[in-house]
Amino acid sequence: MFGEEDLIKIHKERSLKINTIVIISFFIIILRLWYLQIYQGEIYHAYSIKNRLRKEVLWAPRGQIFGRGKELLVDNVPRFDAVLIPQYFKNKKETMNRLSSILKVEVKDIKAVLAKNLGQAKYRPIIIKKNISLKELAKIETENDFLPGISVETFISREYKDQEVGAHLFGYISEISSQQLPKIKNKHNVTYRLGDFIGQAGIEQEFDHYLRGVNGYSFVEVDALGRKKKYINTDNLFKGIEDLPAVPGNNIFLTIDRDLQKAAYEALKEKTGGVVAMEVETGKILSMVSTPAFDPSQFSRGLSSEYWNNLRNNPENPMRDRTIQDHFSPGSVFKPFTGITALEENIIDHNSHLRCHGTFKLGSRTYHSWKRYGTEKVNIVNALTQSCNIFFYKVASEMDIDVLAKYSQSFGFGKRTGIPLPREASGLIPTKLWKQKRFGVPWQLGETLSCSIGQSFVLVTVLQLANAYAALANEGTLFRPYVVEKITNFRGEEIKSFEPKVINKIDLNSKTWKSIREGLYKVANHPTGTAFWRRGLGNQMAGKTGTSQVIRANADKLYTKCINLPYEHRHHGVFVAFAPYDNPKISVAVLVEHGCGGSSAAAPIAEKVITKYMQKYLPDAYEKNKEKEKKQLAIIYKSRQKKKEESANPATVE
Amino acid sequence: MRTEILAFLKKYDFSFFGGALAIFIIGVLNLYSATHTNPSVAFQNLYLDQILRFSVGCGLAFGISFIDSKTMFRFSYIFYIFNILLLMLVLVLGQKGMGAQRWLVFGPIRFQPSELMKLSLVMALARYYSRNNPEKIMEIKDLIIPGILTLIPTILIVIQPDLGTGLLLILIFSIITFYKRISYRAILILSVIALLAGSVMYTFGLKDYQKRRISTFLNPQEDARGSGYNAIQSQIAIGSGRFLGKGFKKSSQASLQFLPENHTDFVFSIFNEEHGFFGSVVLISLYVILLSRFIWLSGSVLKFFDSVVVIGLMSIFFWHIFINMCMVMGLLPIVGLPLPFMSFGGSSIITYCLVIGIATSISNSRNLF
Repeated sequence: MFGEEDLIKIHKERSLKINTIVIISFFIIILRLWYLQIYQGEIYHAYSIKNRLRKEVLWAPRGQIFGRGKELLVDNVPRFDAVLIPQYFKNKKETMNRLSSILKVEVKDIKAVLAKNLGQAKYRPIIIKKNISLKELAKIETENDFLPGISVETFISREYKDQEVGAHLFGYISEISSQQLPKIKNKHNVTYRLGDFIGQAGIEQEFDHYLRGVNGYSFVEVDALGRKKKYINTDNLFKGIEDLPAVPGNNIFLTIDRDLQKAAYEALKEKTGGVVAMEVETGKILSMVSTPAFDPSQFSRGLSSEYWNNLRNNPENPMRDRTIQDHFSPGSVFKPFTGITALEENIIDHNSHLRCHGTFKLGSRTYHSWKRYGTEKVNIVNALTQSCNIFFYKVASEMDIDVLAKYSQSFGFGKRTGIPLPREASGLIPTKLWKQKRFGVPWQLGETLSCSIGQSFVLVTVLQLANAYAALANEGTLFRPYVVEKITNFRGEEIKSFEPKVINKIDLNSKTWKSIREGLYKVANHPTGTAFWRRGLGNQMAGKTGTSQVIRANADKLYTKCINLPYEHRHHGVFVAFAPYDNPKISVAVLVEHGCGGSSAAAPIAEKVITKYMQKYLPDAYEKNKEKEKKQLAIIYKSRQKKKEESANPATVE
Repeated sequence: MRTEILAFLKKYDFSFFGGALAIFIIGVLNLYSATHTNPSVAFQNLYLDQILRFSVGCGLAFGISFIDSKTMFRFSYIFYIFNILLLMLVLVLGQKGMGAQRWLVFGPIRFQPSELMKLSLVMALARYYSRNNPEKIMEIKDLIIPGILTLIPTILIVIQPDLGTGLLLILIFSIITFYKRISYRAILILSVIALLAGSVMYTFGLKDYQKRRISTFLNPQEDARGSGYNAIQSQIAIGSGRFLGKGFKKSSQASLQFLPENHTDFVFSIFNEEHGFFGSVVLISLYVILLSRFIWLSGSVLKFFDSVVVIGLMSIFFWHIFINMCMVMGLLPIVGLPLPFMSFGGSSIITYCLVIGIATSISNSRNLF
């Protein structure tokens, strides 16, 4: 057995060898240093002096975005900045004077900019004037020799052709912030770097990995005046140095119809709210608009602090997409789903007549109707037509909330539709279990009553409404809404296309469909209907008005005119429709925040969008219906006139 | 009391701290020179950050220098297992940094368990070798357990992926094993196996950017447009220093930002540009003196465990210095290993300080206790 000291002794031989290895290793390093610094030192020194070779990023153009008619909606536009590079800045006074006359910027302003950037590295360009005109650009280029250190930098700016229209749908791009970077690094196999531009909302965000190209780089030589020129390789050392061209991003073709989009925005722009229009037979989104909006072009140009402050301080929050990111109580537009539940569960049949007028008492609470009705009893069709609350309260008092939840969920309520856009809200369809979990108290029957008319806990998004009504229109096929039709690479080759996707088939009794659809038809096409006077001739639209209470109303408040309430207490107006009734093609949902009535505020907007659609896609049916409806209207006017005369001259009747 | 302190100071071995401090001072000045022209204030202040980290590291190291080597021996396996668990934890919930999962975050402190693993591995191997037939000249079959001890952390680190640190563990293992005495026949066989395994891994196991780095190294001109650019600019920086260099803060490569990462991987290039061949020989001499002190210590301790640990610690320094210098001079691919006490880097500088602390403790155990 060895002692510890003996052990160390017998290993001395190895430690000496290790010592030798270390010495030899460093000898190799010193040899190499000698080769680089002494033997070739002069050559490398010469390189370092004239080393003006710089690797510059070639930014890849971002993919363009087109509408369904292949109209260019989002494009890239080059923008020019006049910059000053301190390293090469000479004859300062003269140069500044000349520059000031070209750019029409005062010399003292140029000095101020320079003073602000005094601490910077001398080779860093300082921006003197952003976004110069082509004329200014040409002047700087031609007088280049008299402007040492002044040059023009190109910057690709993102341009959204229709400015605010569809801003939320497109989203915007801006530089990745340092807080954001760790979260998205290497997402979708894209390596994001600080300083990169990235989509921050909407399609720009969701499809960023398709839209962004692959940056390249080029080697440029910087001359003594700070001007860049193409690097021409003459040295052996840099043999094989080559530029890598940038690969442009992919182009996206949307399902969005530019005309409908504009019509929706025009109708909504003075108000706060959202519009979604979609194809009933495919789930393709035709229009998606939220107001107030912003101009996404401003973001890629570097937002001015003024513009940003305006956005931030606007209490209406223009950055929010009200079509998918907000949910709200749908109000009466939810009634068709209560009606479906009642019919399918045999709580009522198609001929059950219930009263509309008066109040409905449950325990100590009194439930009110939304207007003072006549005393005739109504069936489900007319209950929808007149939006009769008492009818639905009565039905709901015999309804299990979980059953109502089941039917409404089958129409896509209570969960995200799955539209490929960021930050979609899920809405809420309450169940007994949900309430127990959320509040720890059991469900109350009174809450079922409120839910049956789309109040209380029920929350939906504008998109969910449009989608659910599309399923009402096509009698049971619920699609996953989508906005992107196909994606092509910069050579125009298709790399991905999207097909309609059915997410649910709703199987109901054909009589149920008929009653509900008839009720919705009469809303807009029967003189007693809540939207009759807003229908727009020729559209053959079927729909439902709704009023979403912002604050709980008591009986007094309920009958005070909404317009007399303070703005933030006014109800939201909601209207959802599909058209044409015979052969539905389009469904439209409209929310107008604090717009008071669904009929007065929201329905006219839906009417404008549908009219636009009819005129563009179904002009024949539109004209034919228009003639027919005009005649009907004439009859109604005549009979009204008659009634008026009769009541004005009761004597003649006697 | 006073005499006690004096006696203590007399016996305390300050040579390791002294050597480290000398190199660190050069390193901080160089770091300042490399970053002071950077437009970002964060970069300009890196050297202050570096001083703070070094101070914290030295404080820790001073504390560790009072732990005697018996305690280290006792806890070596536990320390090793704990470190393996940390590596697994990194894979599960590590923060993404630089495209790879290497970090663990505890409140304000971010650290890389793979850094600590270098020390844990040295301890574990030293314990194993000093307790299992320490006198024997080993053959391949004797390497099974130490081989497994090395491969577990290596694999965990390589899949992070951090190829550089993974390979470093194998290199540390090979020096320790060489010291423990392995037959030359076994060395030959292992070299052949390593060569084969290396080729297989290169073909199937490497990520694209890792392959690119290696092929760039083998032929920098071929891919000069990509990563080869760094290698060439680094060589220009070094070569242009000539004999005496351009002088402090005079590096044109750094100030014009031709050289990326000049505060981490490429500090040696900047140092060469500014201080030339002469300065580099001085710096290398300091490193050689420090390393020789380790080797000397390995032969003068009382316990074989201590001796193996000291050789292991030496190898950590040696490989870092050697690989970093070779890579900036175009002799090895750019694997991203820092230069001890010169490169900026949070976890790594703490590790180097800990190495100094352990070495001091072992040195002190010769006469203090």
